[in-house]
Amino acid sequence: MKVILEKVPTENEECALIKAAEVTEEIRNAMDLLENNCRSISVAEVSEDRTPGETVMLGTDLIYYTESIDKKTFVYTKYKCYGTKLRLYELEGSLSSNFFRCSKSLIVNIRKIRSVRSEFNGRMIAELLNGEQLVINRSYVKDLKRKLGV
Amino acid sequence: MNRLKLIFNQTLMISTGILFGLGIQALLARLCGEQTEVSWQWFIPLSIVLTGFLCAIPSVIFLDEEDPFGLHISVKITLHFLAILGVVSLCGRLFGWYDSFSEWLVIAVMYVIIYAFVWAATFWLAKSDANKINDALKDMQDEE
Repeated sequence: MKVILEKVPTENEECALIKAAEVTEEIRNAMDLLENNCRSISVAEVSEDRTPGETVMLGTDLIYYTESIDKKTFVYTKYKCYGTKLRLYELEGSLSSNFFRCSKSLIVNIRKIRSVRSEFNGRMIAELLNGEQLVINRSYVKDLKRKLGV
Repeated sequence: MNRLKLIFNQTLMISTGILFGLGIQALLARLCGEQTEVSWQWFIPLSIVLTGFLCAIPSVIFLDEEDPFGLHISVKITLHFLAILGVVSLCGRLFGWYDSFSEWLVIAVMYVIIYAFVWAATFWLAKSDANKINDALKDMQDEE
């Protein structure tokens, strides 16, 4: 797609015009990114007994981590849990570079990690901003270091 | 594949460590004026690699991330320590590294020191990594 950038003097005049023959997923993602400063994904609220509820669009910047359990993918925000039809690897492709895989079944938002601490066996424990703790497997620690540039 | 890689890396590291230890021993002997040459029987280099390989196996069994036994880390480290001590004692006996209990005791003490040093160094490096990661996280953390 051809992209035209025209400079404007103030932020108030900023706008994006997309001319498309069809609203594809890529275009929807681009619109999400421009409108909300992040992508959105379709998720269904999950109750305590893990039954799916109302479907909503969730900004990826609200996601703390996503987890795959028994081939089902769950998305966790500060207080809520949602289900999504996307598989974990598909979701991984939709998420920004702030997310990283910390084990085979978990992808965590780096911006939601409060701190990490090392364990004897090379693993790390990440404490999230909501107090939850996740294990970062030894083989994924180097990915985190690379993403953080340390 | 990861396990094979781990065994290969550990074999190389342990073999190098043993060779380094022997090198230090030879250097000290030379400095004390005891000897100017070191000679080995034909099987010693191979025995070092074999010992390295056998010492790598307990690491894969007890320290792997996908823990099939569900044991507490302290139990796993104890079993790992005893398994490697067993391997070192057995290899030492087979390859004639010691002839008496007192010689075995010297090897066992050296092993304990090296084992403790390796764990301390590993933990220190991991802690240093955690500190660096925590510093980097502060710059990009969301405010909640």
